[in-house]
Amino acid sequence: MASIALKHLSYQYETAQTPIFDRVVTEFPAHQFTLLTGPSGTGKSTLLQLMAGLLPLPKNSGTISYDHVALSSLPVGTRSKRVAMMFQNPNQQFAMDTVEHELVFALENQQIAAVEIEDRIIQALTFVGIQKLQHRQLNHLSGGEKQKVALAVIVAMDSDVILLDEPFASVDPQARQSLIDRLVELRDQYGKTIILADHDYAGYDAVVDHVVQITRDHQLRRLPKTQWAQFFAAFRPQSLPSWPAPAPEPTPLFQLDQVALTQGNHQLLVPTTLQLHAHRNTLITGANGTGKSTLFEALVRLTTYQGAIRYQGKDIQKSRRKRYARHVALLFQDAEAQFFNITVAEELAQSQKYAYGDYFTPAKINDALTQLNLAGRDDQVIYTLSEGQKKKLQILLMLIMQSPVLLMDEPLKGLDLKSINALVTLLKTTLAATQQTLIIISHQLTGLTPLIDYHLRLANHQLQYIGGPTNES
Amino acid sequence: MNPSFKILFVLIIALEISFTSIVSLNVALIVLAIIYLLAHRVPIKTLAWLLIVPLIPAIGLWSTQYINGTGNNDLFAWVLFTRIYAFVFTGAAFTLTTDVLALADSLEQNCHLPAKFAYGVLAAYNLAPRIKHEVQVIRAAGLMRGQTLSFWSPQLYFKAILISINWSQNLAQAMTSHGFVEDAPRTHFRIVRVHTKDWLLLIGGILLLQVGIFLVPWR
Repeated sequence: MASIALKHLSYQYETAQTPIFDRVVTEFPAHQFTLLTGPSGTGKSTLLQLMAGLLPLPKNSGTISYDHVALSSLPVGTRSKRVAMMFQNPNQQFAMDTVEHELVFALENQQIAAVEIEDRIIQALTFVGIQKLQHRQLNHLSGGEKQKVALAVIVAMDSDVILLDEPFASVDPQARQSLIDRLVELRDQYGKTIILADHDYAGYDAVVDHVVQITRDHQLRRLPKTQWAQFFAAFRPQSLPSWPAPAPEPTPLFQLDQVALTQGNHQLLVPTTLQLHAHRNTLITGANGTGKSTLFEALVRLTTYQGAIRYQGKDIQKSRRKRYARHVALLFQDAEAQFFNITVAEELAQSQKYAYGDYFTPAKINDALTQLNLAGRDDQVIYTLSEGQKKKLQILLMLIMQSPVLLMDEPLKGLDLKSINALVTLLKTTLAATQQTLIIISHQLTGLTPLIDYHLRLANHQLQYIGGPTNES
Repeated sequence: MNPSFKILFVLIIALEISFTSIVSLNVALIVLAIIYLLAHRVPIKTLAWLLIVPLIPAIGLWSTQYINGTGNNDLFAWVLFTRIYAFVFTGAAFTLTTDVLALADSLEQNCHLPAKFAYGVLAAYNLAPRIKHEVQVIRAAGLMRGQTLSFWSPQLYFKAILISINWSQNLAQAMTSHGFVEDAPRTHFRIVRVHTKDWLLLIGGILLLQVGIFLVPWR
């Protein structure tokens, strides 16, 4: 049961100029697995939140109905039997402390009789294969384990429709595959309807029944099967150019000595000894959830690690925080983490005031703003910028700072091609003058490769340079 | 003892000793609380911290009263000094021996507080370790942009509030998605009962407190 019909669905955020959806008409058939696609920022999350009833649908903006019953007329108390949602951020979907308590909470909400609850919990955990996590603290689990728990909660609630919003963003490849296998089993054995939003399409062509795209004209379009081969092929991993591996040097920028990283009880990186080099740009790749961002957090002393990290020969734990932060800065994945003021002009002024070098004169900043299509927004409140604009502003602010080392965590995420090209051009001209060192984590490699000198890959808990040894000595 | 009864008892003690000035009573309460804590196997180290941390405000109050107080300033200085410790130790006798989840369950089932309140508090409590990390991230991000955010910087709080608003929205969505509906009936897997023993302990405790305040001729 539970096919979902959208009729003339329109939706627009109050602050936005254009609607996200414009009188969309479509149907998601029951017992089938649909992959919902579209570039970042096109409204995948919004659509799922609307369908789950987490965002209220304003009057006269169409209807969402489950088996011909409008979502708005389904009693709220029984909605979780109909539809449940798994979120992108594994850290913000639990209200309780342990796995068992979260499951109990969900089942109590559904008014399941107390005597039945224990059996349901065991069944759900067994189905997902995580019985051993039953009494564990949620805070101590890895991203992949948390998402498995989230799925177990949905299985226990026995919801007809399962919505998943980019659920694998911090999940390692093995856990991702195991979760996809469970979803397929839920469809085939239990007749669940599954709608999953993702921007990484690898591995879905063999399992999904439908591919639905959110188009530029704010409609939903079902991709005909004949176009699947072409569609999925475009997302096969790109073959990267091969860069030479660096030769060891006596005074590297960073020296990692037996550095190991863990997340809860989960090992991310086995003890690793490695150098990172000054005035070279290093790209770090690796699957989701393998620990790339945690490595950056270790480099800026935001997480604990085993072993020692030395920056220019000095243990980073022994540097003064303030001094070290001026040398090694991190461009956070979440752009808002980097903002401290209200308007664009105030942010720019702050970066200029504390900048490490004087390359960015007011004229250069104006040029950069024009280049990034951010000109004329001086008085705009930062929090009303679009996600793409926030990202571009954040990168510009951190470039103006001119810290000798800039770690960039997914700097191009969610940007369109035009913005990417503008940014890469800006990075090139800036680096030529400022001699900064960039270390970049990125899935998005289009346009970025000309900047890169070395390539580190994090896989199977190992961090290694990819490429042959250099001949220069 | 039932968690709701326990918190009620501690609140009554706190209220009453706020309006009495009997040093020996305060000391007796401190001693009883320490015995209770030891019986619950609270580590000695924790108890030592409870003694050290309030020392500065306690001495501060004591000296203010001793130097500037009028009338029986010697007695009142010691009343204030011991009162602080009585607050700390009776409070600890509650917090260090009570599971937050049990308290939430009890508040919901025995006191019939709205489930939203009980689970909201619980969720916030469970988020606390992450908030600490988030404050570190804000301060590090500030340093990277040349700005030192000390614990009294308004910007630190501005950012923290923005993040909290964001989190609370996400958490509300997560709870809704796990079937939580405000004021809707729920079943209870962990049943918290009020036993006759709880009533006896509470009433007995309160009576004993009155005896200590009004009847015992301390000194």
